[in-house]
Amino acid sequence: MKSQLAQAWDGTNRFQPLPYVLARDCFDRGTCGWLELMPNFTKEGFKARDSIIDKTRWGPTMLSSASFGYMGTHGSMSGLYSLKLATRPVANRYEEPPAPGSMAHAIKRLSVFRPKGLVQMEMWYAYTPEQDRIGVGEKDIRAFGAAFDVQDESYRYFVGARFLNSVNGELKRQWQILKASDDVTDEQWAYGRQGEWNKHGVDPMWYGRRYPDGRTDGYQFVSGGQQRLCYNESDDKINWIYLRLTIDTAQREYVELQSGSTVFDLRGIQPTLVQPYARIDGLLNPVVWVETDANRRVFLFVDSIVISCQ
Amino acid sequence: MRHFTTAVLERHASLSGHFETEPFETGWASEAIFFIRAEEITGENPLLHARVQLSADGIHWIDEGTAFEAITARGDYFVRVTHFGGWLRLAGQVNGGEENRFEATIHLVLKE
Repeated sequence: MKSQLAQAWDGTNRFQPLPYVLARDCFDRGTCGWLELMPNFTKEGFKARDSIIDKTRWGPTMLSSASFGYMGTHGSMSGLYSLKLATRPVANRYEEPPAPGSMAHAIKRLSVFRPKGLVQMEMWYAYTPEQDRIGVGEKDIRAFGAAFDVQDESYRYFVGARFLNSVNGELKRQWQILKASDDVTDEQWAYGRQGEWNKHGVDPMWYGRRYPDGRTDGYQFVSGGQQRLCYNESDDKINWIYLRLTIDTAQREYVELQSGSTVFDLRGIQPTLVQPYARIDGLLNPVVWVETDANRRVFLFVDSIVISCQ
Repeated sequence: MRHFTTAVLERHASLSGHFETEPFETGWASEAIFFIRAEEITGENPLLHARVQLSADGIHWIDEGTAFEAITARGDYFVRVTHFGGWLRLAGQVNGGEENRFEATIHLVLKE
């Protein structure tokens, strides 16, 4: 069954879906429900509540032909268009809260339709900075990642991984999973700001204090998680890379992370469990994001994504 | 069905002096409308000028020729554009010093 479903995509075997495919998104068909994450515009004048993280300026998502000034149009792995996440050309130092616009974050809002069990996200992606200067800009990409935001009858939790590529211009190239440090208060989670909306463990993409060696209060390093991805030799040559994240919503555990041909066994690691939020019962939101490490736009191109479950 | 997207390029942004919206890829679309909603205006007789720019690479920009008439009051404004290639943005200016500001939301609406 796995093989039949995988081949139904486009005749290739480049996905390894679980038996029930919830979403099969190829961005030649449009944005498929992926859009930038924004705060709740529920205040007077359709403003968002005050926060130490200004999410209203996260960079836009768009359909991209991956075109470059001296290379021309790359297109995508499947055809012509990919989903591009683009930051603004602004970054704080790593150990500071992310600057407004320094991240781009896309979300697809789903809910559960199968009994609890294995859930999986697979994608083919590429990453590069804007080719606005000569040289190789690999070190200007701070991180990119993929995760699920889940809420069941008892808990909300974020389960996912990011590739910590660079910290203040120093290449790290190491995988981390979303898992908050235990001894962190809600206030510390929000960089010391009182009255922040989010609870400890929620939205670790931008919350959780960060330290100059790459650690944060929101992530744990994956054991043996150093990896040299295929970045290529210039910023206008992009290579499509495979990523798979498998979780278990029955056990509320990580299962596996696959990057390229490397598989990291994460079974038994539990994400940070948080009391449920109002009105999001059964939430199952896959998300992807990218963050710049310099005053320079960086891009995450996503060719295609498959969300599947047991 | 026709392809369609609404991109929100700025949300309640505080504009003063020179500004540009973030580059947006438009290669799949054949028609576009830029909307500006001027939500709050502060300063002394402020004027907001904005014009459409296009680009071959998203880095080097050229005036497309379409421009908003000068905006002086709160309200909603738009311009239409066609035949623009792979990228669009708005470039603009609020006259006067830092005290002259427009709070604005800017949409780019694309259709194929």
